[in-house]
Amino acid sequence: MRAVAARDDGEIDASARLGARLDASFRFWCLWPCIGILGALTLYPLLQLVPMAVSTIVFVSGESVWSFTPRRNFQLLIEDRVLQAAILNTLVFVVVSVAIEMVLGFFAALFIACLPRARPFARTVMILPILIPAVAIGSMWKLIYNYDFGLLNQIVQLAGFGAVNWLGDKHLALLAVVVVDVWHWTPFVFLILFAAIESLPRDVLEAARIDGASAWQTIHRVILPLLAPALAVAALFRAIGAFKAFDQVYLLTAGGPGTATELVSLHLNRVFFEQNQLGYGAMLALTVIALTVVTILSGRRALARS
Amino acid sequence: MTLRRSILAATAACMFAWMSPHEAIAQAAFADVGKQPPITILINSSPWFGGFEKIVQLYEQQTGNKVTLDVTPFGGMLEKARNAVRARQSPYDILNLDTQWTIEFYEGGFLSPLVEIDANFALPAEVLTFQDSNFWNAERRWRTRDGGKLMGYSPNGNVHVLYYRSDLFEKAGLQPPKSWEDIAASCAKLHAPPGMYGYVHRGERGNAVRFDWMPFMISAGASIVKSPENGDFTVTVNSPEAKRALETFVDLGRRCAPPNFGVLGQGDLIQLLATGRAAQGMAVIAAWPSFEDPTKSAVVGKISTTVVPGPAGAKPGIVIGNWHFVVPKSSPDDRKRAALAFSRWFLTAGAQRAYAEGGGIPVRSDTFTSDLASQPKFRWMKAYIDSQPFARQELGFAEGAQVEQILGLRLNQAVIGEISAARALNLAAAEIEALLRQSGRRTGLLAPLAE
Repeated sequence: MRAVAARDDGEIDASARLGARLDASFRFWCLWPCIGILGALTLYPLLQLVPMAVSTIVFVSGESVWSFTPRRNFQLLIEDRVLQAAILNTLVFVVVSVAIEMVLGFFAALFIACLPRARPFARTVMILPILIPAVAIGSMWKLIYNYDFGLLNQIVQLAGFGAVNWLGDKHLALLAVVVVDVWHWTPFVFLILFAAIESLPRDVLEAARIDGASAWQTIHRVILPLLAPALAVAALFRAIGAFKAFDQVYLLTAGGPGTATELVSLHLNRVFFEQNQLGYGAMLALTVIALTVVTILSGRRALARS
Repeated sequence: MTLRRSILAATAACMFAWMSPHEAIAQAAFADVGKQPPITILINSSPWFGGFEKIVQLYEQQTGNKVTLDVTPFGGMLEKARNAVRARQSPYDILNLDTQWTIEFYEGGFLSPLVEIDANFALPAEVLTFQDSNFWNAERRWRTRDGGKLMGYSPNGNVHVLYYRSDLFEKAGLQPPKSWEDIAASCAKLHAPPGMYGYVHRGERGNAVRFDWMPFMISAGASIVKSPENGDFTVTVNSPEAKRALETFVDLGRRCAPPNFGVLGQGDLIQLLATGRAAQGMAVIAAWPSFEDPTKSAVVGKISTTVVPGPAGAKPGIVIGNWHFVVPKSSPDDRKRAALAFSRWFLTAGAQRAYAEGGGIPVRSDTFTSDLASQPKFRWMKAYIDSQPFARQELGFAEGAQVEQILGLRLNQAVIGEISAARALNLAAAEIEALLRQSGRRTGLLAPLAE
């Protein structure tokens, strides 16, 4: 009898093991279509950049002719003075715009979450700028900043000051571009943080209040630590977005005056599309991707440590 | 001609005669091109597009042939053209290429020479060829009819002209400027910012500043490279003459243009002139319709044109910024022939006259010597045709786009005061020389200017 029971148990074990193995195998094979699509749409184009980056590509009789010139392309990269200015501008643009967006987004989320009434309305109004296409935003702000006809200078002149050369002054142009980015993307930070604040445990906030914590202490000691994951996500997404900024900067200043607002994305566009330097353009693209990944990973590590 | 086409042609001619006060149109010579398959043209939404659109409508009415226009902003034209010619079959049968882009397409072998589509095709003698930029000599890698193949023709031959407010000039007792010094003097009289700027040209980084500096550079006797047509690519852009030209350019801009001169683009410049906030300005002839359209302009009938001047006592130096209609090699044969049929029709005296009347800039010299030129509406024609002897192509070599990027940045830095004129030209010269050396050109450098 015991022998039969043991044999039954063994059969059940074997059957369970087989089921588990089939299950794991099924899950493994289910992943492949996803990996295949990801590979085809993301990795393949990215890998295609590698042979391009070490080549010079010209067109003869309608066909592309590739020659292997890694040293030439690398030398162009090292000697590219505009790229150096572009990298510096991009870093300043990312750090300043993301920092301002995080601070404004956080306080806007906190303020609207505390509103006793009309919260859905305020939330809807807040997120409007994200819904507007970047091209429309670029055009709108170009008009606002217009030296002769712009709204901003009309206000400045009404206040008794002289017109300001917002986009034409090399000291102001990058700041003007940052302002537009902040206007456009602060609502994105707001949206993430507002959702996080709404889901904060009420009992913890209540406990802080009963313990006599001031508003600042509640924010600093309770809310901010609880929001840390949401803050990290918002900062990461915005940093990635700011690294890729192109459309509205292109419309506002096209990188000028001089190199005052030249970002790596604009420079890449110039090399690849306007100058038609496909090989060097690919090398530049890989460099930009590498720089972005390194910066984002460093930022993530720093955030995790803090 | 079939009965149907005859009726269509007669109807179209009647309609056009009704639309136009000039009875000559009805009798003007148009070519009979027969029934053709539909074609598609890649065309830019520049200020002269309105005139071209009207002429295409007239072609469709007269011939019954269908033409689809893909109207694209300037910024998207080059990539659409590149994608079209690199595809197995081009979606376009005629591409409109800016003069700067032609070399890439000629040299890349992407286009069909027009005589390879039809061995009998030739441009009428009256058609302006703007220093032969529509011919390509592959051996010499140069645009010339001398040993070159006919690759296309210009639907628009942009050159700079000087626009000025004739009412203000008359009131102030000023004559149309004949030199930079005259411009400075008239600016001194009329400049009253922010309501009125004495003179404007473009300082925006890139094509704008490079293109607008060219008349200053050419009229000063300077050049970018020594003799590219003969294979001598010695960089000469940092010569003392070029430095003087840049200093004059910057000085005029700073004294007479708005303080945002360093970011002033074509749209801004036209806006300043059209709203009556600039007394004079240098712009391409294609901008003319913007000043005569009452829905866009506050100065209708008050703007006149004259040849862009040079330094006192020197010849003007006009730069050509013409467009080119070309046929992609990858367009099917029947559509290539249809594209050529359209071209044959478009270049007739009748079509060119109708084109001018519709607001376009014609490319046949006989249109400019016709009765149109004496009509007030076409008062721009004299300055345009008088400019032609001084007009020249610049950067007509494969590295032109990159040279333009270099100059566009360094000139702009001089305009905004980031670096001096001498420094800007020395930097540009060194960068252009490095670029040309890498391309295997015979090149060299002048001694640097004192900074």
